[in-house]
Amino acid sequence: MKFLLRRLGFYVLAAWVSLTLNFFIPRLAPGDPASALQATFQGKLDPAALEAMKSAFGLTDEPLYRQYFKYLGNLFQGDLGISIAHFPAPVTEVISEALLWTLLLAGVSVVISFSVGTILGILSAWRRGGWLDSIAPASFIFLGAFPYFWLAMLLLFVLGFLGGWFPLRHAYSDTLSPALTLEFLLDAIHHAFLPALSIVIASLGGWLLSMRNTMIGVISEDYVTMAQAKGLSSRRVMLNYAARNALLPNITGFGMALGFVLSGSLLTEIVFSYPGQGYLLFEAVKSMDYPLMQGLFLAITVAVLAANWFVDIAYVFLDPRTRR
Amino acid sequence: MPGQIPVSTEEPQAVLGEGLPAMSIFRFLSLPAKPNGARSRRIPCFLVGSLVALSLLATSCKKSSAPQRQPGTAIVVPTQRATWIRNFNPFFESQARWPSTAGIYEPLIIFNRATGEFIPWLATSYRFENENRELVLRIRKGVYFADGVELTPDDVLFTFRLMKKYRALDSFAVWNYVEKVEKVNDEIRFRFQRPFTTPGLFIIGRQPIVPEHLWKDVEDPVKYSDPNPVGTGPFNQILSFQSQIYEVGANPNYWQEGKPGLKKLRLPAFGGNEAMALAIIRGEVDWSAAFIPSIDRVFVKKDPEHRGYYFPSLEGTVMLYANTTKPPYDDVRVRKALSHAIDRERIVRIAMQGYTRPANATGFSDLYNNWFDEKVLAEEGDFTRFDPSKARSLLDEAGLKMGSDGFRTLPDGSPLEVDLNCVVGWSDWIIAAQIMVRDLRAIGVDATLRTYAFGAWFQKLQLGEFDLSISWSDGSATPWSFYQRQMSASTVEPVGKPAENNWQRYSNPKADALLDVFASSSDPQEQRKAASELQREFVRNAPAIPLFPGPTWGQFNTTAVEGFPSKENPYAPLAPYKAPGQLLAMVELRPTGTPALPGQPGGPPPQKGGTRSWGPAQPKTANNVIPLEKTSEEQAPEKELSQQLQEAEGTRP
Repeated sequence: MKFLLRRLGFYVLAAWVSLTLNFFIPRLAPGDPASALQATFQGKLDPAALEAMKSAFGLTDEPLYRQYFKYLGNLFQGDLGISIAHFPAPVTEVISEALLWTLLLAGVSVVISFSVGTILGILSAWRRGGWLDSIAPASFIFLGAFPYFWLAMLLLFVLGFLGGWFPLRHAYSDTLSPALTLEFLLDAIHHAFLPALSIVIASLGGWLLSMRNTMIGVISEDYVTMAQAKGLSSRRVMLNYAARNALLPNITGFGMALGFVLSGSLLTEIVFSYPGQGYLLFEAVKSMDYPLMQGLFLAITVAVLAANWFVDIAYVFLDPRTRR
Repeated sequence: MPGQIPVSTEEPQAVLGEGLPAMSIFRFLSLPAKPNGARSRRIPCFLVGSLVALSLLATSCKKSSAPQRQPGTAIVVPTQRATWIRNFNPFFESQARWPSTAGIYEPLIIFNRATGEFIPWLATSYRFENENRELVLRIRKGVYFADGVELTPDDVLFTFRLMKKYRALDSFAVWNYVEKVEKVNDEIRFRFQRPFTTPGLFIIGRQPIVPEHLWKDVEDPVKYSDPNPVGTGPFNQILSFQSQIYEVGANPNYWQEGKPGLKKLRLPAFGGNEAMALAIIRGEVDWSAAFIPSIDRVFVKKDPEHRGYYFPSLEGTVMLYANTTKPPYDDVRVRKALSHAIDRERIVRIAMQGYTRPANATGFSDLYNNWFDEKVLAEEGDFTRFDPSKARSLLDEAGLKMGSDGFRTLPDGSPLEVDLNCVVGWSDWIIAAQIMVRDLRAIGVDATLRTYAFGAWFQKLQLGEFDLSISWSDGSATPWSFYQRQMSASTVEPVGKPAENNWQRYSNPKADALLDVFASSSDPQEQRKAASELQREFVRNAPAIPLFPGPTWGQFNTTAVEGFPSKENPYAPLAPYKAPGQLLAMVELRPTGTPALPGQPGGPPPQKGGTRSWGPAQPKTANNVIPLEKTSEEQAPEKELSQQLQEAEGTRP
């Protein structure tokens, strides 16, 4: 318990550091929202109107440290400000539009990719040299080595465009509106299938290989031999003795991956026109939309820290050494 | 050479491949689609497993591959945006959802970029009074907002006063020129700070009008997202709104009888250009604006009977600006020499894929065809002609002698090193700049392409810290604002202070006098003369080096919807993203196969000359009242209309 509390304290500190970086780093980048706005208007905006818009956006010439304290103050009141690129929508509204789809697509595909990859890793390590071990790691690493956008476009082109089995874009059919009906859920799954498949294909190999390699190391440990000598069932040795211990590095990686789910998957979203955080962040950076960038980074920060916290909890269960 | 960018323009694809990752997919897609039977065997084996899982879903998918259309619905893709945010505030054109600016909240007068005419809309007539210090508008009667309240002159008054109170709403700076606005005898009277004619008509006319009875209660109209807009436009009902698609329904009580012909517009969101182009190429979109390379082969050829595009060069001209505060660019001979060295045909063919034309020395895009004076070019010589030997002799004359290393030096013997600035990622401009660097090197000018992120590039341009820079120029209704931003002392800022325009920092007292004549005159002859003389000043002094007029983008597919403007029938610009011009096309669209209304364009036997239900506005005779009620126009004999069109066309060079 003490371990978890100590970690929590560390996370609070980490959160503050990253919030501060979130504020300063975008402002250190060359350019500013006003010039980005000029770009969208191709210079047709009148200087007086531009000034007025800047003040409406809350872009002031105040010293940076004053802006910083204002930003922290607003943050604690849950006010993330108004997005510039999506003016005048509040940042919270803009993010919440995309959040659900990102959680659904990237979250589900990370979970699938992690579980399938880990299970395949366990199996191929357990029967190393068997048919699974000679095919699966090699072929998935091979697939994962393709440039992701190429793989995604190929899937879209072959299965979507030529085949016509899958929709070419969006998270659900244009004729439906979001509702908790079976029809809508099936439709949403249908739309998410290709993008999810592309993510799973691209990332499965990594999970598989790392699990397999750790597992092989663990299998040669004495306690595994001991368990086998005791006459425990092969399945129990594989899962409870070998895999449980070999899982730790993968769990850490999984935590990281879960945390970064919220940063979205930009290429997936672009290729499949799927709504989500990645494209939002891309647009925010392009238009120097400080409030939206801050909001997105905040969401990512919180998610990464929360995921790490859960990894810590998982460690407590998996690894008795931490339970002190 | 440090920082030098390899220039290879012999093989266009090699250059394009760098800048446009999208190209590959287009080459990919332009392969003929295989007949359905052949495809499954070609799928690589690793996909077979997943395909088994798909077979369950496969039945339902077949539906989505051939989307069903309800008649009277047009699918429009005016912009590329990943998700829609519900914002219909018409004052911010670039932030508001289409078609809020113009399509939902209508403007007073529309400047038709394709024909160069002013078309009365919510205002039925205009006239200038008091030595052109006042503009008087008469507002149309019988126009209703979506909530059934009638539009009154008070709404117009309210809109402009709102813009005065909140300057952020005034993006075209009406209040820089207007002193006050008031209602006299049910007419709206704008009083200008000084005599101001056609240019004023453009910026005032384009303003969308909002209803006073609703907007007076809006707390902060700058931050108002207007989720349920109440406008007078042809499409003023928001039928549904989701982050990936929304629908705008037709106005059942629209003031133009029988219009709009369509029942609703659907607007899907696209995150990337690839997905957008895929949908357009598959024929899922009726009206769109996308950059599609090799459009004839990739898009039109798939269904030439229905598909088409119309890319009139109606944006401002893209220019090469030379910093006239810096020697040797202060010498007009040097500027003209640089210009003569540039092969614009090649730039247009390679960088712009032939979608525009080379500029001429007046710098005019097709927007100003009505003002163009060929005599000026004949008399003063066209400095945009590709003529490297002339360029060399001009440089020799200016004292920039060829050095021993094959590059020219300044008159004092120091090396002449020229940086040409461009924006990272703006691939068409970068390719154009690469070609220019090559051309300049050919005449012994040691030019280097420098690319910067937009912010940094724009800052250098604004502060006057550059040698040569490619950039846009003004594209509003009259040559007045175009030349004001190229030659007027009023737009020059000292180096180091950001300039909004006139980055080359060139001024010419003669041009200033001519600009004043143009802006304060309502005599078309006088304006025409001033415009010709302004062209002469520009051609003589080469304040900037015109490259090519910017095209506007627009594709259409008449399978479900017809009546689009096109090369054959250019009654309006096709570009759906340009407010308020897109409104001219929006009201004329109708389901394919429905007969055209009298005076409407297209239709099974295209009605010759019937460009729209209006008589031609006569912008050149500013004191004339524009023809009034539209009903009388609709009954105008067809012969007269076609005659008028011929006359209108006759004025275009």
